Amino acid sequence: MSSMAIARSKNTDVERLYIWELPVRLTHWLNFFSIIVLSATGYYIGHPFISVAGLARDHFVMGTVRVIHMYAAIVFTLSVLVRIYWMFVGNDYARLTQLIPFRRERFRSFWKTAMFYSFMRREAEENAGHDALAGSGYAMIFGVYLLLIATGLALYTVDVSPSSPFQVFNFLIPLFEGLQMARLIHHICMWIVLIFAVIHIYFVLLASVAERTATFDSIVSGYKFLSRRKVGIS
Amino acid sequence: MRVHGLREELEHQGISRRDFLAFCASMAAVLGLPASAGPAIAAAVENEQKPILIWLEFQDCAGNTESLLRAGHPTVADLILDSISLSYHETLMAAAGSQAEQALTQAVRDNAGKYIALIEGSIPSDADGAYCMIGGKSALQIAREICGGAAATIAVGTCASFGGIPAARPNPTGALSVADAVPGVKNLINMSACPANAENITALIVYYLTLKRWPPLDQYRRPLFAYGKSIHDNCERRAHFDAGQYVDAWGDEAHRHGHCLYKMGCKGPATSQNCPVVRWNEGTNWPIGCGHPCIGCAEPNFWDTMTPFYQRLPNVAGFDVGSWVDPVGLGLTGLVAAAAVAHGVGEIVRHRIGSKASSEDGSEAE
Ligand code: HEM
Ligand code: SF4
Repeated sequence: MSSMAIARSKNTDVERLYIWELPVRLTHWLNFFSIIVLSATGYYIGHPFISVAGLARDHFVMGTVRVIHMYAAIVFTLSVLVRIYWMFVGNDYARLTQLIPFRRERFRSFWKTAMFYSFMRREAEENAGHDALAGSGYAMIFGVYLLLIATGLALYTVDVSPSSPFQVFNFLIPLFEGLQMARLIHHICMWIVLIFAVIHIYFVLLASVAERTATFDSIVSGYKFLSRRKVGIS
Repeated sequence: MRVHGLREELEHQGISRRDFLAFCASMAAVLGLPASAGPAIAAAVENEQKPILIWLEFQDCAGNTESLLRAGHPTVADLILDSISLSYHETLMAAAGSQAEQALTQAVRDNAGKYIALIEGSIPSDADGAYCMIGGKSALQIAREICGGAAATIAVGTCASFGGIPAARPNPTGALSVADAVPGVKNLINMSACPANAENITALIVYYLTLKRWPPLDQYRRPLFAYGKSIHDNCERRAHFDAGQYVDAWGDEAHRHGHCLYKMGCKGPATSQNCPVVRWNEGTNWPIGCGHPCIGCAEPNFWDTMTPFYQRLPNVAGFDVGSWVDPVGLGLTGLVAAAAVAHGVGEIVRHRIGSKASSEDGSEAE
């Protein structure tokens, strides 16, 4: 893929553009790995399918899984917070305006992209950063991340002592109508994230292969290959 | 009416000093104080004038009263609470009808601003309170009057604390907790659970008599000494939880070995109370101790969010969301993956047709 893209960069219309700054790429991969770990451990916490025989003191299966879940949750929470901070201080492609189609042309781009993917338009919208459709998806998924973190923290307050500083988050419990509802929302959000991940990976691969923009590589290197004409840069 | 000291009253009831000291030591334990605090409690309590307690019952099942009376022999706690201090308790007192009303009026008048109101049951507010009327007055009116003049109000049980079962969806009577029914109520303390543990109520009164103030509370106004830790954290089956040893069916091998009831829907991880420590019926046993999962009775909205009792996740508005969320989530993820593959095939077809069409116009495929 990348060799193809580099070959294409010799084409005069194609520009190699620095899109994703380091914090964007770093938090992306921290999210990626922590979500895998959180989903696997979270699923086990919800459905402990491994049952061990023998004396309880010889095993620590659920204990270990929960500890891993909590450590991964720390990584995930910090990574999401850094990424949200970067929405305010990062380059244009990292910003909130890329995520929510505030401006009219972004809104139009949203529909054009939607029509392209539903085979109602021939030409793909080419955007340097996110296309507007994907941007809205990312805005939604960051909302889900925050909900996961909030429900996770609410659940965590009963694990720690009543004098722990984590008790500042216990105000969240009544907001979710209690811990059981928080738990249910935590589960639902996990599935939303996993479904999103499947769609996300598919479209990135599609953009890389069909549109040849090196989208897939860009989240490692930071660079995309884009048509000047279509993106509208000189 | 002469007001006796507690000690004097206890002697009168035939409680020996040794029994009394043992009781004070047990109260120290419930309050999380060292055993050495026992004598200090004894000194404070025995010289204290007996507290005036007024117990009102509204929309409830009288379970808290039952719990207070218990079936066993009368303990010091029972005596302090019911025979000695309760100036008014509809279920327990001999008086009835207008005589009872008079007793209440008198107790409130004589001890204005000094008595402690204990409220059992939720307070219905719909239909102008017609769902619960006593002597021509609605529960709402009575609660506002009595709690309004009290030094402190103790909501006994989950119904009085949070509305409980009467307030569960669809809440046909507009049932309210004491906090919601009596806005601005002074020194409200919620002793939730269904029923509240008499041990904890007694400990609360003893705390007040000893230290002349009310204990630190959690965000639901429940004393931390009784509600500071989750059931799960103090549970005797916790080692099995952490190890990964769970009951999968009633009466299976694991159940007979006393393994963790997590997969049977135990709500211990979502419920704060000291049941594993103080237990019930003079410390005889408690639900998880005899193999039944915790049902989360001490928490707000317990009937709506802790049910189904034998399932880990709750239902929403009658829909069985709890048992479906994970299978449906897994299925949808698979479906979306399949759709992605199908779309991918569509893209390949589009690409083929596109390049054919553009090579026909003679322009470059893009
Ligand atoms: C993508 C992120 C996450 C996923 C997919 C995830 C998934 C899960 C799942 C499925 C459970 C099992 C719930 C149950 O049945 O009890 C769980 C439990 C839990 N999660 Fe997460 N989680 C995520 C993030 C977090 C975060 C960020 C936190 C904390 C800040 C957190 C804290 C917890 C806690 C405390 C529990 C309860 C453990 C228990 O039941 O004792 N999670 N998680
Ligand atoms: S039985 Fe319930 S409270 Fe006890 S360890 Fe298991 S899940 Fe926790």
